[in-house]
Amino acid sequence: MNSSKTGHDHDDIGCLEAIEAFYAYLDGELSDPGAIEDFEHHMSHCRSCFSRAEVERLINERIGEAGTSKAPDELKSRVRRLLDEF
Amino acid sequence: MSAAAIAMTEDDLKTFFSRGVEENMDALYGTALRLTRMGADAEDLVAEAVSKAWAAIGTLEDRQKFRPWIFRILHNCFISKYRRDVARPAGTAIDENDDEALAALLNDQPDEFLVWWANPERQFFNNMLGSAIMAAINDLPDAFRMTIILVNVEGLTYDETAEALGVPPGTIRSRMKRGRTMLQKALWRQARDAGFAMPNDNHRQET
Repeated sequence: MNSSKTGHDHDDIGCLEAIEAFYAYLDGELSDPGAIEDFEHHMSHCRSCFSRAEVERLINERIGEAGTSKAPDELKSRVRRLLDEF
Repeated sequence: MSAAAIAMTEDDLKTFFSRGVEENMDALYGTALRLTRMGADAEDLVAEAVSKAWAAIGTLEDRQKFRPWIFRILHNCFISKYRRDVARPAGTAIDENDDEALAALLNDQPDEFLVWWANPERQFFNNMLGSAIMAAINDLPDAFRMTIILVNVEGLTYDETAEALGVPPGTIRSRMKRGRTMLQKALWRQARDAGFAMPNDNHRQET
């Protein structure tokens, strides 16, 4: 990837490169400022990738909502008994 | 035992450990459920991980890293005890660090997949239940499934996820890309099988 970029000029990254950075960007894990700028610049003029990113955000939301589980009370008591024995 | 652990009295350590376990109980159970796919097995797995974690408390060098540390113990318990019993294809057959493999994964997609991904039928996504997405995630190979669960459901950072799964941080980034691309492909198949219009059927809007 273009880790040496400092963001002075936007490099026109292609869709494949943008897709490479998608999840790191959406998950807040893209740390190189140049890479963030390049990605956002691509998003600002590529309707296809902008739309893909929207879909990914929606999926992230749905995963967050649907994936969360509550520990059953039985398990909670079982673990509490374990902790008391330590 | 680490310096941090030695600095605490036994009681302090126990209190710290108990609080950590209780704060992460839902996340540990949820992750165990995704690993084992069975409620009763998930409860056993969490109980075993808590016991093993307390026995191994000396290996926790940085208290700030309790979360990835205990997830790693949970994951290791699963691998050693449960995984062999579960008849499903192992995720390890895929060379997950190969960036060319990702490019190939994208290039191998039929054109209509990439077009659809850029312009999916909104109704499909609006109607799609989170449970359907989770079902598609459950079908992914273990390595990708667990990475997506820890990052997108449990909210671990890539570094924490790497620690929890015992892999280098770069592997998580690569697994996210590949795992989520596989997920997209699965959703695309669902949309196609459900009879949703593909964008290039009659109103291709791609420029």
